[in-house]
Amino acid sequence: MTSMVEIDRQISAFVNSHRELSKGRIWVDGLQVTALDTAGALLALTLVREAEPTFSGFRDSQAAILELTRSRYDPSNGLTQLVPSRDSFLEMLGRKGERALAHSHGLLSFAGQCVVGTLIIVRNILAGRWKRVRFKEFVVQLDQVFVTAIPIVALVSALIGVVVSYLFATQSMRYGGQIFLVDAIGIAMCRELSPIVVAIIVAGRSGSAFTAQLGTMKINEEIDAISTLGLSPLQVLVLPRMIALMLTIPLLVFIGNVAGIAGGVLIGATYVDITPATFLDRLQRVLLQKHIYIGFFKAPVFAMAIATIGCYMGLTTQNNARSVGLSTTSTVVQSIVSVIILNAIFAVIFVQMKL
Amino acid sequence: MTTAHLSEFVVEATEIQTRFGDNQVHSGINLRVPRGKIVGVIGGSGSGKTVLLREIVGLLRPTSGHITVLGVDMWSSSPAEVSGVKERFGVLFQNGALFSAISVGENVAVPLVENSDLPSALVTRLVELRLSMSGLEPKVALMMPSELSGGMRKRAALARALALEPELLFLDEPTSGLDPINARAFDHLVRTLCDNLGLTIVMVTHDLDTLLGITDEIIAIGDGRVLAQGPVAQVAAVDHPWIREYFDSRLSSNRR
Repeated sequence: MTSMVEIDRQISAFVNSHRELSKGRIWVDGLQVTALDTAGALLALTLVREAEPTFSGFRDSQAAILELTRSRYDPSNGLTQLVPSRDSFLEMLGRKGERALAHSHGLLSFAGQCVVGTLIIVRNILAGRWKRVRFKEFVVQLDQVFVTAIPIVALVSALIGVVVSYLFATQSMRYGGQIFLVDAIGIAMCRELSPIVVAIIVAGRSGSAFTAQLGTMKINEEIDAISTLGLSPLQVLVLPRMIALMLTIPLLVFIGNVAGIAGGVLIGATYVDITPATFLDRLQRVLLQKHIYIGFFKAPVFAMAIATIGCYMGLTTQNNARSVGLSTTSTVVQSIVSVIILNAIFAVIFVQMKL
Repeated sequence: MTTAHLSEFVVEATEIQTRFGDNQVHSGINLRVPRGKIVGVIGGSGSGKTVLLREIVGLLRPTSGHITVLGVDMWSSSPAEVSGVKERFGVLFQNGALFSAISVGENVAVPLVENSDLPSALVTRLVELRLSMSGLEPKVALMMPSELSGGMRKRAALARALALEPELLFLDEPTSGLDPINARAFDHLVRTLCDNLGLTIVMVTHDLDTLLGITDEIIAIGDGRVLAQGPVAQVAAVDHPWIREYFDSRLSSNRR
């Protein structure tokens, strides 16, 4: 069987060598054509088009295919590519910048809406309108963002406690200062490590889940359905998630503190001869309450950033399957970066406040 | 072509049973689709039309029974044979199933690029023809699937299913979401291709104009089995409560 590419080449060669033929002087004889589909008809029609050939000798079914192709295909509007042309560098820069601005603006106004929404919840509670308070959704989220996160937070914090303690113990042993392991691990875990580790875990498992859940609901038009039923997606979907996360993240940080210090106790007991009793005794004297409270204070701020980003990205997902994946990835990146930036800002503030 | 390819029936299903947990969807489906015909599949919601279609095209394994497509048993042949058959038929899914990461034109080009070595200029021309055959303007090729309306998405998906003009086409609700004018244009296109290229078309549809206008045969599915198979008039005359109600309601509303 002659391939289509070969036929294409042969017809082109023929047309090129008979350029001088005037209009209406070409007959295309189909007597020997055994099979013709619309792709073949397309070739026959486009290649000798200028010569306005007369088709003859085709069987009825082949003539019908030629006619179908002729009626549906207009060679003059010539599509030349299948992929939209790319923007130039400047255009791309402009578009990205514009999008980044619009995104920050959207994120900030969404955070504002969440604050107003929270005030509405407070008003509903004070006025005793319990039906308006989405308690059931809140409890479901408590389970998803807190209870199921406990094992992973405990495991990760304990391992970080072990690794940091080990490094500190190796260094401090050279000066005989092993006992300061207690100060170091206690303060580092409670003030910095545990809040950051918990925030990163939460961004990875809850922030991404918020975006994926809300994004899928958006594609499925569930969010539109909620609005048209006279409910507020903010009250039904966003705030239960955000409040559950903000209320429970200090608890996760506490679990992280305990697990991390337990890792320190383990290293103290096995590696540098600090008995658990000595460890805990010193911990009580050196770990000031302010360190613990600073950790507890920072965590809900991180949680608010994560929940705001996660829900906003979900609600603004575009209407296709690919977009949910892209938004979810973007949520995790944005959440982790913003947590680390917020933590740096807090560090500067607390140093200035001499805390 | 070997003689197996030219057998009279392109799809044969025998004693298909399908069970999801306690839910018996099919309890013994037997059907045969003759070559070169347009066959419509009808049945109430939840009667397992789409499930049956998915079993025929090899996406879902029936609990028991045999399915033969173009002479190859879809569930007991070697993977190479099955994938060889899959290149020879096209499927239009209910919601289009366009790949969202690439443009409409590239979507239509996928079967052409993957299954042939046509130069890209030729592929582009063929894509344009396929799009206009399904009633879309060439400029749609540059749009992303997410930018299309429901009806346009359907037509783009039809263009992709038609890309290779496969000898067997499965269409799941091809005209739902199309306006009547485009639906009739679709009917005309399908009929022309079927008559002149010898394509066989199996479509799940509830569009009575399509059913009455272009199908050669109808397969009515209900109660987990085939209630009737044959030309429209013959199926409409079958004495079964669902079939009677289906045609009564549709025909009377049509007459108004």
